[in-house]
Parts: sequence; structure tokens; C-alpha cells
Amino acid sequence: MTLYGYPVVAVVSLLAMNLLVVAIFFAVVRLLRGPSLSDRVVALDLVGVLAVGMISVHAVFTGQPMLLRVAILLALVAFVGTVAFAFFLEKRGRE
Amino acid sequence: MMAHLNDLLVCLFMLAGAIFCLIASLGVFRMPDLYTRMQAAAKSSTLGVVCIILSVAIHFGDAGVTTRAMLVIVFLFLTAPVAAHMVARAGYISNVPLWHRSVADELRGQYDAATHELASGRPSAEDPRG
Amino acid sequence: MRLFLGNLLLAFVWSLMIAEFSVASLIMGFAFGFLLLWLFQPLVGGSSYFGKVRQIVRFSLFLAKEIVRANLHVAWHVITPSSFFKPGIIAVPLEPQTDFEATLLANILTLTPGSFSVDISTDRRVLYVHVMDVENAERTRWELKEQYETPLLEILRS
Repeated sequence: MTLYGYPVVAVVSLLAMNLLVVAIFFAVVRLLRGPSLSDRVVALDLVGVLAVGMISVHAVFTGQPMLLRVAILLALVAFVGTVAFAFFLEKRGRE
Repeated sequence: MMAHLNDLLVCLFMLAGAIFCLIASLGVFRMPDLYTRMQAAAKSSTLGVVCIILSVAIHFGDAGVTTRAMLVIVFLFLTAPVAAHMVARAGYISNVPLWHRSVADELRGQYDAATHELASGRPSAEDPRG
Repeated sequence: MRLFLGNLLLAFVWSLMIAEFSVASLIMGFAFGFLLLWLFQPLVGGSSYFGKVRQIVRFSLFLAKEIVRANLHVAWHVITPSSFFKPGIIAVPLEPQTDFEATLLANILTLTPGSFSVDISTDRRVLYVHVMDVENAERTRWELKEQYETPLLEILRS
């Protein structure tokens, strides 16, 4: 299936990639502005999850299923990072 | 015909996922306090990324990719709420204020300041089931 | 339990037969195996297993619908001005639960519309939930318990 001579999946993945870039932009604005440290952690977690989505879209765009493994790894690391940050925040709140 | 249906599904899931991700990020950008922001982040980003990964699985369609995609989906559904829950708890403990127009805060005063143990302050007599 | 193992075996055999070993083929094999066992119900007995599978499938579909609805809900909150919001943290009393049940319930509440679990009390009697629209705290409490806790415990305990 083609759209203006290009495969429609490629066109749609470019569009989705652009939407995700806009999403990451807003998350980064919150990361820079966030009044408290917890807000920044939320924004950072969101950036990590959106990056997983971007890598998956890129996997479809380039036709490289190998990139899905990168996405799995990034999801794991983002989760562990967020949990570590939460522990740190809680420890800091106790002192 | 089958290939067309496949492409259509891939496009549908990918666009829906990207739009949900955008909603999550807009929510985090414009909601008034930490807890309302986390509502948007936890719900929409999870479903958005799950939709995108589902579209990857449909696009490649071979056994290895599908299995791995299912793994990521289960992992995301189990961990994203846990991470959000931990950050919200840490935020409440480090005194991040609720929005000034919040109508209820039944968590106030329930934490033990030293040990962070959480009391169950409400008597169950107020349970409306009687 | 015996029927569940049999059903898994049938799913495994199905994936061997169609020479494709993936999640999709296993799910398809499980569905066909379930149909087969259901057809031979007088021979294999165990009607509680069929009821339970039907319960799990119905609850999963309900959850999928709720998760999509939660996202539309968030989208609605993103486009309405924040002067309409009435957020708040309310306490939901719980039935006595194990760690696993409490974790699952907290995850489900986080993914469903308008509610977000903040913390569970140390004695596991109360779950503190952040709710987006607190119209009536008592009613919200009752709805959360009725919609999510009751069917979940029914599935996990029976």
C-alpha cells in the first residue's frame, strides 16, 4: 500500500515520530521547570518511556526488528532509574 | 488483501499510540500539581507505548518479535503503575503540596514522621456498604 | 487445576502441530484447547474451571475497556480548563489482602479512569487513592470497591 509513492507505513511512522518529538519537548519543558524534585522525576520517567516508543517507531521505519531489544533494555533501565530516584526522595524526606 | 489489513492495523495502532503519548506529555505539562500530573503520565504513557509496541509486533509478525513484544507489554503494565506509585509516595513524604483547590486530603497526618509507617486512620464504620 | 494443565498441554501441542512457537500460536492453541475441553465437558467434568476462565476473560476485557476510557478521560482533562477540576486524596477501606492481591489492585486502580493509588497503609486496611473528580467521596469509595476489588478478589480467591 503506498501513499504519494511511499509505503504508507513509512509515512505514518514519520508522522508518529514527529508527534513523539513534540511530546518529548513538552516533557522536557516540565523537566526544566518542575517546581519540586518529584515533578522532575515524573518528567524524566516520561521522557524515558517516550524514548522507548521512539525506538519502536524507528524499528518499524527502518525495518530492523533488532531495535526492539534496545527498547526492552531502555524500558528496564528507565524503571530501575525511577525506582532509585523514588528511594532517594523518600530517604531525603526522612532526614 | 491480508497485507493491506496488516498495514492498516499497524498505522492505526502507531498513530493511536503516538497520540496517547502526546496526551500524556501535554497532561504532565499543564496539570496543576504533582498528583494530577502523575495521573496523566501513568495512564496515558503506558497505553501509548503499549499501542506502539503492538504495532511493531503486527508489522514484523514473526515469532521472536511477537514474543519479545508481549514481554515488553506485560512488563510495562506491571511496572509503570508501580513506579508512579513510588514517586507519588515519595513526593507526599517530602511534602509536595496538593493543588490549592483540591477538595479532600484524607492522607494528611497519617504518616509517622520518623518511620514513615502509614496508619489506617479511617474507622470502617464509615464504609457505606453498611 | 488438572484441566488447566491439560489446556496448557493442548496449547503446546497445537503450536507444535502448526510448527510455529510464539505467543500468538500459544494463545490460539489455548483457545482451541478450551473449546475442545468445553465440548467434552461431560467426560472431563470440572465446571468450575470453565466458569473461572470465563470470569477471567470477562474481567480482562472490562479492564481493557476501562484503560482506553481512562485515556479519553485524561484527554478530556487536558483540554478542559483546570478550574473545573476537583481532585483529592480519599481513603478506600480494603478487605484483608495478601501482598500480591494488594499490588494487583493498586496497579489496576492506577490504570483505570480518574483514580491513582498513592499508598497503602502499613496494616493493609486502607488504600489511599488520588481521585480526579471527587463529587461524592462516599460514592467514589463504594464504586472503586464494587467495580474493581470485588471481581478481582472473586477471581483470585475462589
